Amino acid sequence: MPFRFEARPAPSRKVFWLSPLFAVALSSLVAMAIFALSGLAPVASLILFVTDPVSSLYGVGELLIKAAPLVLIAVGLAIGFRANVWNIGGEGQIIMGVIFSGALALHFGDSGSWLVLPGMVLLGILGGCLWAAIPALLRIHFRANEILTSLMLNYVAHFGLIFLVHGPWRDPAGFNFPQSKPLGEAALFPILIEGTRANISILFAPLAVVLAWLLLKRSFLGFQLQARGVSQNAAQYAGFRADRAILVGMLCGGAAAGLAGVAEIGGPLGQIYPTVTPGYGYAAIIVAFLGRLHPVGILFAGLLMALLYLSGDTAQMSLGLPPAIAGVIQATLLFFLLSTEVLVNYRIRRARELSAARAMA
Amino acid sequence: MSETLAIVLAAVVAGTPLLYAALGELITERAGILNLGVEGMMVIGAIAGFAAVYYSGNLWLGVLAAGASGGLLALAFGVLAISLRVNHVAAGLALTIFGISLGSYVGKPLVGQSLSLSEVQLSGGLTSLPLIGPLFREVHPLIWLSWLVFAGIWFFLARSRAGLVLRSVGESTASADALGYPVMRIQYLATVFGGVMAGVAGVFISVVYTSIWTEGIVAGRGWIAVALVIFATWRPGRCLVGAYLFGGMTMAELLGQVIGLGVPTELLSATPYLATVIVLVLISRKDSTMRLSVPASLGKSLDIKG
Amino acid sequence: MTDITRRRLLGGIAATSLWSGLGFPLVRADETLKVGVIHMGAISNTGWEYYQAEAWRALQAKYPNKVEVTVLENVTDIQSVERQFRQLAIQGHKLLFGTTFSQYASLKKLAPQLPQAHFECCAGIEAGKNLGVFEARHYEGTYLTGIAAGRMSKSNVLGWVGAFPVPQVIYSLNAFLLGARSVNPDVELKVVWVNAWVDPAKERDAVSALVSQGADVISGSPNTPVQSEAARAEGVWSIGSTGDFSEYVGETQLASFELDWSPAHIEATQAVMEGNWEPTGRWRGLGEGGFIRMSTRSPALPASVAEELDAAQAAIVAGDLKPFAGPIKDQSGELKVAEGEELSDSEINSMTWLVEGVQGRVPS
Repeated sequence: MPFRFEARPAPSRKVFWLSPLFAVALSSLVAMAIFALSGLAPVASLILFVTDPVSSLYGVGELLIKAAPLVLIAVGLAIGFRANVWNIGGEGQIIMGVIFSGALALHFGDSGSWLVLPGMVLLGILGGCLWAAIPALLRIHFRANEILTSLMLNYVAHFGLIFLVHGPWRDPAGFNFPQSKPLGEAALFPILIEGTRANISILFAPLAVVLAWLLLKRSFLGFQLQARGVSQNAAQYAGFRADRAILVGMLCGGAAAGLAGVAEIGGPLGQIYPTVTPGYGYAAIIVAFLGRLHPVGILFAGLLMALLYLSGDTAQMSLGLPPAIAGVIQATLLFFLLSTEVLVNYRIRRARELSAARAMA
Repeated sequence: MSETLAIVLAAVVAGTPLLYAALGELITERAGILNLGVEGMMVIGAIAGFAAVYYSGNLWLGVLAAGASGGLLALAFGVLAISLRVNHVAAGLALTIFGISLGSYVGKPLVGQSLSLSEVQLSGGLTSLPLIGPLFREVHPLIWLSWLVFAGIWFFLARSRAGLVLRSVGESTASADALGYPVMRIQYLATVFGGVMAGVAGVFISVVYTSIWTEGIVAGRGWIAVALVIFATWRPGRCLVGAYLFGGMTMAELLGQVIGLGVPTELLSATPYLATVIVLVLISRKDSTMRLSVPASLGKSLDIKG
Repeated sequence: MTDITRRRLLGGIAATSLWSGLGFPLVRADETLKVGVIHMGAISNTGWEYYQAEAWRALQAKYPNKVEVTVLENVTDIQSVERQFRQLAIQGHKLLFGTTFSQYASLKKLAPQLPQAHFECCAGIEAGKNLGVFEARHYEGTYLTGIAAGRMSKSNVLGWVGAFPVPQVIYSLNAFLLGARSVNPDVELKVVWVNAWVDPAKERDAVSALVSQGADVISGSPNTPVQSEAARAEGVWSIGSTGDFSEYVGETQLASFELDWSPAHIEATQAVMEGNWEPTGRWRGLGEGGFIRMSTRSPALPASVAEELDAAQAAIVAGDLKPFAGPIKDQSGELKVAEGEELSDSEINSMTWLVEGVQGRVPS
């Protein structure tokens, strides 16, 4: 290859801030190319694609309820990622949050008590944490790779939910369809913005952003976690306990995911289905990376991802394109962002220059 | 054909896509690269292969198209993960989402279409061969091929010099590099090979197993393949057994219903994944088994900050 | 899309409520009626979505200049169903069709909130405020195909690939066996549940499992040819239940019936155009204006069986033959329907028990 990568003395801040914009620009070009190939006007279609979903109050509400779980989970996962703890089990942890809080919701949803929602929140967090603790403990005690264990547990949780919804939790008035009965009023989050479906649970997301920022930037624990991410050896040498980092890293993700599960069933769904998480656990990982593992970056990345999901839907109505286009563009965005990442820490140099430099040394 | 043999054959058919994908991923991981995008590559292979067979009626064109598209996607992943040092998890997930979405997008016109192949067409022309034709009637040529591939991989890893080089890259990229091996090129080759295998796994599902294209036809088998590689502790022989075991699970679940076993089907479905976790724990526990099993640089490839 | 301020929205709702409440049509006579349809899956050339699509295509054919249909496919997320229907309503679609039970809960919530449009849901449970429902009496079709199966089975074992253990499927397979037993009292039915409406690999395995246990006629709720093709590959008969797959499997498909939702679409559209749309529940089977029509029969079917089918069909249409007329026992031998009695519509629609002769459980 005529080019080589040369490590920079210090990460380039210019590239760090510019590369997301660059990635967005490149992805927009790809989107326009797809539109053009489908016989549509590229620029006009792109504008419609991104503005149509949020051109009404209801649309903005939809954006918020779509972005909130993504941001929430991504913030939790990112804390772990920064400490080199790879929680891929978001899906399963969401489901456990649904199961734990769902049990309370189904039994007490019609009680009218104001305690139900806080109870659901606590149980949901507990459920997510417990499920995330399993891979953490397996890693701590048996050195089992948490990527693989958390991934497998996604499936176990999925089948557990199917079992519940097909069996003990099946709605007696639901004609034997695998779904729970609709949750009672006390188990539903009140609407925050009149005229939309946005309920107060969307506030968990900005709250998580603030908490995560405080943890990472202002707390000693956060420092330890990030140090571990930079160099495991150095962190160990400094006495930062690896076990604790692993546990905290996994639990942050688990808690966030569990909470997101509560928000789903207490929000737009209002019922428990087997398909309660449309891939949020995996999408949140993408959002975490798009947001560069930074809480504020994740906030923007989550809104962008959510917008793309909504755009995929409207693409059908206004542009006549299959909704799968959303996923194509999301992946393209990630692809470009990840590709330009390398330029933060490495410079491109012509190979000849490099060998000449070596020859001179 | 006897009842038992029919059931065994059904398990083999169900396990074949898993075998292809897992063997491919095994090679990739043995070179130290964790490619979580298997599901995406299988979907792309499934639609590319299906479309090729749909329009040409030729099975082998389909296999070619599937392998090529899977390999291409793997190449893209390779660029990200190997050359650009991107975090493997992120790159793999991006690949998965891309593959699934692109497959859905491109496959839209063919949804619900059935291939309606004649027996000869389905076997790629092999059932019409003079003496050995009947062999391919019960056991599809791609299944025979999967056994050939398995044998080849086993030989490659256990007995060949090239396989030794691959394994050394997987154990320690630094040492391999010091010994003068072209580490990046080897990793690229391993990754692309994994993609080709995943693509073939996909076309097997869409063309041979079901002969239909629908959304979600791969249904998570890519993830099962990833699990299978760990379950098999990165050894081809165990991959083979595991593939048929995992493949047979659905059959077991269905038969269990017909026979009247009282086991909840969800428990049966969750067993392969639980088993994988247990196996992983068992082999990671002891340093010795770990060193013998997990390619050491597989873990290292993850120590890149996102 | 314009920004709708709250005041304008409320004002608009009040106005349209008053307007339609007084019986005036939502559409002026010279205006085209915009109809919206949302499909959960992708439309192909067989299966559930195909028949839904045929219904709105019939609308377009019948009213080429007066009706404009907007169609959305692949809306799989339950969360987005509400959003998309609302969007269609706000964009001026006056009649909206849901195409599957999983949209019913969202429509039930949404319909009362959007009086500027009327809603119909196929496979919904019961009509509600601003929401009509319609379903087909699948059991009439399965009863008749059961007669063909009962006559042609040599092993006296039939197989059913069960999608979900919901009443619509349960009454279908029960009627299938009842029809078969009306001509062949020794026949039995084995059922396996795949827990999916569409999962070709699993459906294929299910057919293998059933055949390995002796079934030589396969039926189910197929949305693709995969079940029929698997049956043919295993050398057994298949039934085209809510689909005709004879072009794929030739004469190995004994008999079939198809769905026809166009009467529901056309009647609802007519009513909206005339201003007298009311939420109704339509549950129809064979016959004029019905939602089921018998389809291709295999040339391998003997003439005597064909005649039997014709006679039985005529009897059902005339109301003389009722598939769920007693005596009917369930699996445990308990008499569920006495001689001379028949099941009511609501009893059929909430059926969760299997008739005697069915082997398999309803998962609970």
